[in-house]
Amino acid sequence: MAMVEPKARAAQKTDFKTGNEMAALAAAHINFHLMGYYPITPSTEIAEFLDEMKVEGEHDIVMVPGDGEHGAAGICYGASTGGARVFNATSANGYLYALEQMPVQSGTRMPMVLNLVTRSVSGPLDIRGDHSDLYYALLTGWVVLFAREPQHVYDLNIIAVKLGEHPDVRLPVVVAFDGFFTSHQKRRVQYFEDKQVVRDWLGPMPEGFPHALDPKNPITIGAYMNDPDLINNKYQLHLAHQNVLRVLPEIFASYAELSGRHYPLVDLYRMEDAEVALFLIGSAAETAKDVCDKLREQGVKAGVISPVLLRPFPVEIIRGALKNVKALVVGERADVYGANGGLMTHEVKAALKDDPENKTIVLSRVYGLGGKDFYPEDAEAFFRLAMRVAEQGGLGEIPAFDYFGVTPITPADPAKRVLPPLKAEELQSPVRIEVQPDGRVKAIAPPPRQMMEMPKRIAPGHGACPGCGIFGALDNFFRGLSGHVVVLFQTGCAMVVTTGYPYTSHRVTYIHNLFQNGAPTLSGLVEVFHEKKRRGELPADEDITFVMVTGDGGMDIGMGPAIGTALRNHKMIILEYDNQGYMNTGAQLSYSTPMGHKTATSNVGARGFGKVFHHKDTPQIMAATNIPYVFTGVESQPQDLWKKAAKAQYYAKNYGLAYGKVLIACPLNWQSEERLGTKIVQAAVDSCFFPLYEVEQHKTTITYDPEEKGKKIPVAEWLKMMGKTKHLLRPENKHILDEIQAEVDRRWRRLKAMHEHPLL
Amino acid sequence: MVTAPETKRAARLPIKDEWGFFGIRFESIGGYGAHIAGRMLAEAGVVYMGFNGSNFSSYGSEKKGSPVKAYVRFCDSDQEVRTSAPIEEPHVIAVFHEALIHTQPVAAGLREDGTIIVNTRKSPEEIRELLGLEYGTVATVDAITIAVEEKTRVNTAMLGALCRVVPFIDPEAVKAVIRDTFGKKYPHTVPGNLRTFDRGYESVRMMTITPKPGFVREPYRRPDPPFGYLNAPIGGLVLSAGNSIVKDLSASRQGYLPAFDREKCIDCAQCDIVCPDYCFVWEKGTDKKGRPAMVLKGIDYQYCKGCLKCVEACPTGALQEKLEEDGWAKAHRVPRFALPA
Repeated sequence: MAMVEPKARAAQKTDFKTGNEMAALAAAHINFHLMGYYPITPSTEIAEFLDEMKVEGEHDIVMVPGDGEHGAAGICYGASTGGARVFNATSANGYLYALEQMPVQSGTRMPMVLNLVTRSVSGPLDIRGDHSDLYYALLTGWVVLFAREPQHVYDLNIIAVKLGEHPDVRLPVVVAFDGFFTSHQKRRVQYFEDKQVVRDWLGPMPEGFPHALDPKNPITIGAYMNDPDLINNKYQLHLAHQNVLRVLPEIFASYAELSGRHYPLVDLYRMEDAEVALFLIGSAAETAKDVCDKLREQGVKAGVISPVLLRPFPVEIIRGALKNVKALVVGERADVYGANGGLMTHEVKAALKDDPENKTIVLSRVYGLGGKDFYPEDAEAFFRLAMRVAEQGGLGEIPAFDYFGVTPITPADPAKRVLPPLKAEELQSPVRIEVQPDGRVKAIAPPPRQMMEMPKRIAPGHGACPGCGIFGALDNFFRGLSGHVVVLFQTGCAMVVTTGYPYTSHRVTYIHNLFQNGAPTLSGLVEVFHEKKRRGELPADEDITFVMVTGDGGMDIGMGPAIGTALRNHKMIILEYDNQGYMNTGAQLSYSTPMGHKTATSNVGARGFGKVFHHKDTPQIMAATNIPYVFTGVESQPQDLWKKAAKAQYYAKNYGLAYGKVLIACPLNWQSEERLGTKIVQAAVDSCFFPLYEVEQHKTTITYDPEEKGKKIPVAEWLKMMGKTKHLLRPENKHILDEIQAEVDRRWRRLKAMHEHPLL
Repeated sequence: MVTAPETKRAARLPIKDEWGFFGIRFESIGGYGAHIAGRMLAEAGVVYMGFNGSNFSSYGSEKKGSPVKAYVRFCDSDQEVRTSAPIEEPHVIAVFHEALIHTQPVAAGLREDGTIIVNTRKSPEEIRELLGLEYGTVATVDAITIAVEEKTRVNTAMLGALCRVVPFIDPEAVKAVIRDTFGKKYPHTVPGNLRTFDRGYESVRMMTITPKPGFVREPYRRPDPPFGYLNAPIGGLVLSAGNSIVKDLSASRQGYLPAFDREKCIDCAQCDIVCPDYCFVWEKGTDKKGRPAMVLKGIDYQYCKGCLKCVEACPTGALQEKLEEDGWAKAHRVPRFALPA
């Protein structure tokens, strides 16, 4: 990025901001029509910042929280068919979950901007930055720009809108930047003081492109197209990419006039006479520049190449830059396994192949996976490698492709146990089950003291926040189960804090697959358990209870798979801990967040009172699948929960799927006192917001009726216990409070009718 | 003197490393406000004083109560910040919780002329002893007492102490950022935070260690991962079920813990039912009538994060909230497991 001398440029403010803050600021300045989004680390903050700005009236972007990234990408696609300016931000597995939507967006030529805050793709799950998600983006037909620092994030987002909408381009654009290294690092930056400067530079969207909101001009979007037509459609896409190589420099030049910041398609640092060079995407290239300067001082002709434009790949510029380079190391923050080099290695090599004069020796090194830091000495090691190869005039013994920064072996023994496995006979719950004449079951729980005989299936040493409600809920549930248990946790706090490698708090076999796919995964395991028993590959008397544990967020993104699993009625349990939000990623709203509750994406301000729609009634959704057992529970009523656990196990063994939801406190994000969690969930029960009941063989029974006991309280009594809801008690929010009370009362009356009438 | 952003000058650093930076690392616990303290310090330097710089924190799955780090880099205003790597050899280390000394290598990489500031009631000499530090300067500040008295958090007290040991940072610039940061959403907390800052600044105690003759500082060495590719089980499996029991979570406590009085206990188990950290230790014994029954033996403080849910649940007062004194938890701990040495 070269600085252009100012003419009469628009006034800019110097500030200190992160990449995510700059992405949000650019989006607010652009004033997209809509953002469809779903929280995933490290991109999540972008939606959070935009929500904060929205409640203060700083932009008018319609913010739509998806039920998952697939849904969010669908929201964006739909909006873009309406000829709107559309924005999204995601990372890693979220991007992969939405991947199917990406070629549709480009193939049907709907411009939009997606910020890909790059992060490692599972599994194993790693939330830090690398480029394994980016490499998928390179195959989608989107234009891909890469921002190496927070300033670039702001500028390239604005440029992306203009580029994607250009009549000769008409493509969606990814603005990628390094997760954490760029997204979460504060740097000195500049941005326009007046957002109108950005809006004027962009102007209105170019006309002449039909859209779905013009009934006078009906069109068909997404016709079904086989051969011989598809190849022509794709050639159009190819031509549009070719046009980017012509159009983007013009837009960069225009933006430089406005801002004083000029971007090249490929950043060539001290490459004029370079003999050894590094090719790096993203923040690592900046680190390498510092080392390049040091080597230049020592007389080494070193240089750094870093593309701003990745799709289309600027082949000719790269070929030209490497003309006289003796040795190049391509550092790749992702591997294409088995291909002897990542995408960049092969694309750079291919670019050079077409220059018969070129003699550059290209080495490829995979580095920095899963967020492993890239230090100046790492860049120096790459340069030294190139220098050695250049000096000896060939690779010699040095492998053309390798990993950099791996550890061969340590003295530790991963198989060494610190605890013996729990035996089935130790695990007999003191809760007893009696089958009643009507076929329903009665559970009898002993006094709490006797329940203390039950060993805990989860060990201490987990990293949850002080006062976390998850672990009381889980242990009390597990106390009601007898015998061996295999658990599957969907992504969430409980998963993350119990299994930070190389540690695990699980004393039983534990599986994590993805955020949303736990129920199908466990159902597959359940079925092979029974099949292996039938084939005699497992002992006939082997007895395992299968329990999936999920947060309420997992039941948003995983709702479809959970319903499918319930409809198939596998013999397993789904246990949901509901803390009313995506607490693992920093407290964004989930569909279980009640109306009016403040979260990181339902802020309170001049134009916002918290979440705008009511909480999801997941137990009723699950009951509608006609599974044999559904229940709700809280830790403040442990005997009720123990009994329901034992019943869930009975039904999961004999009939099919059991589902339960336990409301748990999240003191950090409920902004409540750590010590008060138990009392707050009990207040939620007493207010009838969270009724304790079960649906056993399709019959609803309220197991604790606060009305009957004279303990029913207004919802306000519960809401005043939490910081996230205190604003609801202010007079100006009385209408919201009344609406919450009315909805709680409506659902409670309906439940009571169901309790009273066996057919409901 | 506060210099407004518009009029700031080209600032020059008096002390730099070989890359032109002055590095500061915060060693803290999630919830102590180290992240925001780092941000405020960096903003004071960059926006108010005209240095260039960067600021970031360690990120992962860390929750409240887990160890976290924050970093601040400063350089001359005309130098670009290019590296995004963590600061491994800082000029200043600020330790937000004394207990971290026992669980984290907090002083790792401290430069020879560096300073480590610790939030503690102990003297610099005692801290030096605990750290086993043979060079540099040790500074102490009783940030927790200041924060408790002012009803604020330790982070602004630590910022005050930092300004004392980093002479080129103008305390007035940091105070301007404090006003700016808290003033927007919580204006009523500004005076308390400013007092906390001033008290932190004023109450620093320092000692400079004279290294023994012939002392050579060991160069910083990055820790190895637990396993390499030759001994890590394929597929990322963990084979040692329940091995998190070896972790010590004492540093998660923020001043308080439950004290257990066996005399008042009726073994009602309400504490165990609500404890998120599975700290209660039961054994087979007899009830009042001599029948076999589970008996609460005590608390394993190694896992206790001090949430005090158990105190809230206890119907008899057998569990009481207690301000944690040095060594008390260790002396009263009842181990749940026999841990490997």
